[in-house]
Amino acid sequence: MKRSIQQIAEPSRPARRPLVVTTAALLTLALPAASLLCAAAPPARQRAHAAPRHSATPAASAADAGFNRAVRPLIQKYCVSCHAGKNAPAGIDLASAKDASAVLKNRSAWDRVAQNVGNSHMPPAGSPAPTKAERDGLVEWVQSTTSAADCKLNDPGHVTLRRLNRAEYNNTVRDLCGVDIHPGDEFPNDDVGYGFDNIGDVLSISPLLMEKYIAAAAKVAHAAFQNPDDVLQPVQLNPPSFSYLAQATRVGDHAALAAQNAEVDCDYLFPTAGDYVLRAVVYQSQAGPEAAKMQFKLDDKDILSKNVFNAARTPMNAEVRMPVPGGKHKLSVVFTNPFHDNTDYSNLPRQQQRNRNLDRRLNVKQIVVLGPLHGPNAQSPLMQQLGNPQPDAAAAEPESRKFLAEFAGRAYRRPATHEEVEKLVHCADLARSKGESFQQSIEYAITAALCSPNFLFRIETRPAVAPAPAKSAAKPAVRLASRRGVKAKAKTVAAPATSAKYQLSDYALASRLSYFLWSSMPDDELLGLAAKGRLHDPAVLEAQARRMLKDPRSRALGENFAGQWLQLRGLANSSPDTRRFPDFDEGLRQAMKTETELFFDSIVTEDRSVLDFLDARYTFLNEQLARHYGIEGVQGGEFRRVPLTGDERGGILTQASLLTVTSNPTRTSPVKRGKWVMENLLGVPLPPAPPNVPALADDSRGPLVGTLRQRMEQHRKDPICASCHAGMDPIGFGLENYDAVGRWRVSDGDGSIDPSGVLPDGSKFNGPKELKQILLARKSQFIHCLTQKLMTYALGRGLERTDKCNIDSIVSGTMKDGNRFSAIVVGIVKSEPFREQRNDKGD
Amino acid sequence: MPWEPISRRTLLRGLGTAIALPMLEAMLPLNALAQSAAKARVNRMAFLFIPNGVNVANWMPATEGPLELTPTLASMKNVKDKISIITGLSQHNAFALGDGGGDHARSTAAWLTGVHPKKTDGADLHVGISVDQVAAQRVGRATPFASLELGCERGQVSGACDTGYSCAYSSSISWRGPSTPNPHEVDPRAVFERLFGNNSPGETAESRARRQSLKQSVLDFVLDDAASLKKQLGVKDQAKLDEYFTGVREIEDRLARIEKINADPAIGDKVPAGVPPTMREHIRLMCDMMTLAFQADLTRICTFMIANDGSNRSYKDIGVPEGHHDMSHHGHDPYKLDQIAKINKFHAEQVAYFLEKLDGIHEPDGTLLDNSMIVYGAGISDGDRHNHDNLPILLAGGGAGTIKQGRHLNLDKETPLNDLFLSMLDRMGVHVETLGDSTGRLTTLI
Repeated sequence: MKRSIQQIAEPSRPARRPLVVTTAALLTLALPAASLLCAAAPPARQRAHAAPRHSATPAASAADAGFNRAVRPLIQKYCVSCHAGKNAPAGIDLASAKDASAVLKNRSAWDRVAQNVGNSHMPPAGSPAPTKAERDGLVEWVQSTTSAADCKLNDPGHVTLRRLNRAEYNNTVRDLCGVDIHPGDEFPNDDVGYGFDNIGDVLSISPLLMEKYIAAAAKVAHAAFQNPDDVLQPVQLNPPSFSYLAQATRVGDHAALAAQNAEVDCDYLFPTAGDYVLRAVVYQSQAGPEAAKMQFKLDDKDILSKNVFNAARTPMNAEVRMPVPGGKHKLSVVFTNPFHDNTDYSNLPRQQQRNRNLDRRLNVKQIVVLGPLHGPNAQSPLMQQLGNPQPDAAAAEPESRKFLAEFAGRAYRRPATHEEVEKLVHCADLARSKGESFQQSIEYAITAALCSPNFLFRIETRPAVAPAPAKSAAKPAVRLASRRGVKAKAKTVAAPATSAKYQLSDYALASRLSYFLWSSMPDDELLGLAAKGRLHDPAVLEAQARRMLKDPRSRALGENFAGQWLQLRGLANSSPDTRRFPDFDEGLRQAMKTETELFFDSIVTEDRSVLDFLDARYTFLNEQLARHYGIEGVQGGEFRRVPLTGDERGGILTQASLLTVTSNPTRTSPVKRGKWVMENLLGVPLPPAPPNVPALADDSRGPLVGTLRQRMEQHRKDPICASCHAGMDPIGFGLENYDAVGRWRVSDGDGSIDPSGVLPDGSKFNGPKELKQILLARKSQFIHCLTQKLMTYALGRGLERTDKCNIDSIVSGTMKDGNRFSAIVVGIVKSEPFREQRNDKGD
Repeated sequence: MPWEPISRRTLLRGLGTAIALPMLEAMLPLNALAQSAAKARVNRMAFLFIPNGVNVANWMPATEGPLELTPTLASMKNVKDKISIITGLSQHNAFALGDGGGDHARSTAAWLTGVHPKKTDGADLHVGISVDQVAAQRVGRATPFASLELGCERGQVSGACDTGYSCAYSSSISWRGPSTPNPHEVDPRAVFERLFGNNSPGETAESRARRQSLKQSVLDFVLDDAASLKKQLGVKDQAKLDEYFTGVREIEDRLARIEKINADPAIGDKVPAGVPPTMREHIRLMCDMMTLAFQADLTRICTFMIANDGSNRSYKDIGVPEGHHDMSHHGHDPYKLDQIAKINKFHAEQVAYFLEKLDGIHEPDGTLLDNSMIVYGAGISDGDRHNHDNLPILLAGGGAGTIKQGRHLNLDKETPLNDLFLSMLDRMGVHVETLGDSTGRLTTLI
């Protein structure tokens, strides 16, 4: 055996070295994860020395045989002419790889080799290339070899201590204190890493943010005890979402009603029955002797008639407070006294002629719904819990303790310790001693709790081996479970304190679930299960994940996950040139976003196949967006599900939101579109441009000339550029039938659109429909990519090599389960990286 | 009531008007006066950053020596004698140096640090501490705010920012430590409230004192919580918690400093309403905030990212409907070069507004501009080439009598930009041996 390995090694090298490395690397596979995190770590090597060699050699020979069959001949033939030596391109030196151990030792680099060979990025176009079968053979061997090695490490990874990001902060204070006031909107942006803004490593706390935390905490604590009506956020319904009847038209930011019974209306889903304030923000364009008259209607019944004297500068709030049954109702504003002025003003000075309205109009800026109102005597949830806001002096401290213990248990998302509660009680005492009232003293203690790292950070430390006995100083002062009539149970802890990883506590799991699916704190059910020590049971985890996906709070996945994956958040910053795209306005921008949000939500809540993302026979449209798409029969501002026929639309790639956000202001950008598809649907990270790329504006070359497509083709002739652009550009060209705001087109000014392309693997397509077919044929690659994105988002860290086998098994499970969205989510929450944590050693 | 300073309300009424009120000596709080009598003149520094490089030919003067304003910088004519253009400066560590693409992120993070940012999407952010923060950490305690970080664009909210680099790099020029960027504030109103909102109108001294002391005990509470937590954490997590400690301590410090200064609680009615609709107004309001902060000695150190690097914002109001980044890859197309020149000119006009505003405020020793050092420029020279040598750099202000202005200094090629920064730190009374890749001081500033 020894001899065979020596034969592979270069004769000039000492024979021992490759052998030792081989043994070390292979032994790594067999060692328990607990003691070994990295194949190249010195302890592994030491162990290898001590290990009997014969135990490793049969595996080594099998691995080396595979290497010699599927890999070595190819790299010698096609790769090493460039990829050799210290300064090899991309730092990948293949000339020195002599056997399987070289691959195992440098698994990240070999993953890139497999990826780039597999997707035909390498060898670069124009160089001699292996056959498809050869490529597949190499990829298969490399991937299975490296993946098997990684899997055996059983490493769940380490998630760096995460603070709440802006969305999570807003939702958490909403669910904790019952106030939906979005204080996080004023925080500085959360930095983005790995495509998402919930990554522990990049979420930092600056002094500025700390200052904002303190101000926000005081604001929330105060609002939490106000009459809920005083902190209620009005819902604003704007002209783009109105329907227009009988000569009502939208003019910029308002609706203009000029004819008899001209009307605008909109539907609103009243969450519950109750008292609401219904308000129309209106003004008139005056003509003739009367003021404009309006009727405000609910479900076509008059609720308010008004003469509108106000002009544009100071619009009138025509409002009525009334009980409304829960459910969807129609709100409308009707104009009842049109007037046309027939007077001849031609003898007036021109300026006065110009300023005179000949037609009387009623203008509607907004319809506002406020409610359900709770009434003047209503109490906020925290106020109800506080009970008597002015207990006598003797009762103040015990009352504050009772309240704060309960509050801290929810704020810290686990039972607060006795010591923690006493500190909060002390805060309240201190405030009272300075003359603040009881309620103020509680607000003050809540402010402190909301600034505590226990609230701001999601802490996932190793659980204590056994819960402290009830009489110790560290006893849990809050028994969330006992509040609900359940006794807190001892948590089981799997690993001793010395092992390399540990199971998360049930409370930490509750938070992982809730921040993943709701971007908010765990609800009572999750905390209750954690208190009973039942949440780490995989069946319970699965049931909870399924329950949470059906809860309306899962809309947070659309806002935060899809908002970033599908770049919906970037749409706010897109600025299409309105001279070229005159139809683009704020209404259309909002409609584009809504379409994609509703579409994403439909896949989540109906638990559809994720392949619907690539192509679906339905979408969600309102009149404005339907007109933009050239789809007939959709009237009114309200969004509704619309079945799609024909080849123009279907799936996210054909939605205007994504098409706009990947365009430049004046034109499409096939490169950006192609790059987006590769990175976000196919999961092909584009290698950075290689070092020493000649500067684009090298004067000797002169400017590139021709049409966009021709210029890009010139660009691609350069083999250095071609390796990436040969992948990106054709995909982008396949979407050229959509202009920079996502309208369908067959020509672009001077020339007709050529939406055909050839991908590096030779597959050809003509137009978006065929492009989508190609993507659908690579469904495993797409599901892989989506799973990786969701996993990154769920964990709040960049993925590591060791996550790969978990992802592989989630993907295969999903493909066996109808490709359903929930299968990916359930797979993630049951996976080791989600339920376990590696010790933090600073690496 | 001897030495009662003139109400800041009076001062604030000047905000937003074209002519700023002269700074009367009587308006200076007692301790500021005492300081200025006892010590040398107060000096300030600000760094104003523009993205995507410039149209070099239209930006940089053709001749050395006395300053000839190029078309792009023509708007600086009223402060021509108080500015210089320095060419030849290089930020070497913004180059790829083997790391491939990502020049926008890299040049932003390197601009004020002179350190090569580690290429990472997040797990191990690493670049150096920036010049403003070196100053803030050494002399920032003299004012309520050690430094101010402003910008017009929030960081990117999704996706990748620049190939392989975390968005933290591409949205921050100010770095407190190698892995901790300082985010910038984009809402002028929030800046104003932060600077002046510590006190509410009509509040009694007693109630203010009580509020301050309660705030102090919140800080005590959370520090205590954090200390108990820290014991349970591993190495990496402790580093995250340390950021929290720093934040809390900085606020504690400021509480103490603000108490000493005892600024007038009244806030004028000219509070900015929020983010204005046009870029022009937005930049100008931010410049107003910097002017106010310098004038009231609330800070002496500012950074201002007029836009983030790689920004593809369109400038419709000045006839550039295309995206800025898109145009910056001009490929020598005369149309695109012209569009870039328009954007450069527009930015320069707003900076001229700022400089004139500073120059209109008189202090005991010259104008506010005379007692400041304002760097305006980019981390990329030519947006098409993505090169980081021969950067467009304008230095304005007399540095409290330490800088000779009105010149075009053409330095040796590859002179580190950090040599300029080191020279500026000297003039802030901050003496450090090296900063990033600095090789020495610029001797030609005076």
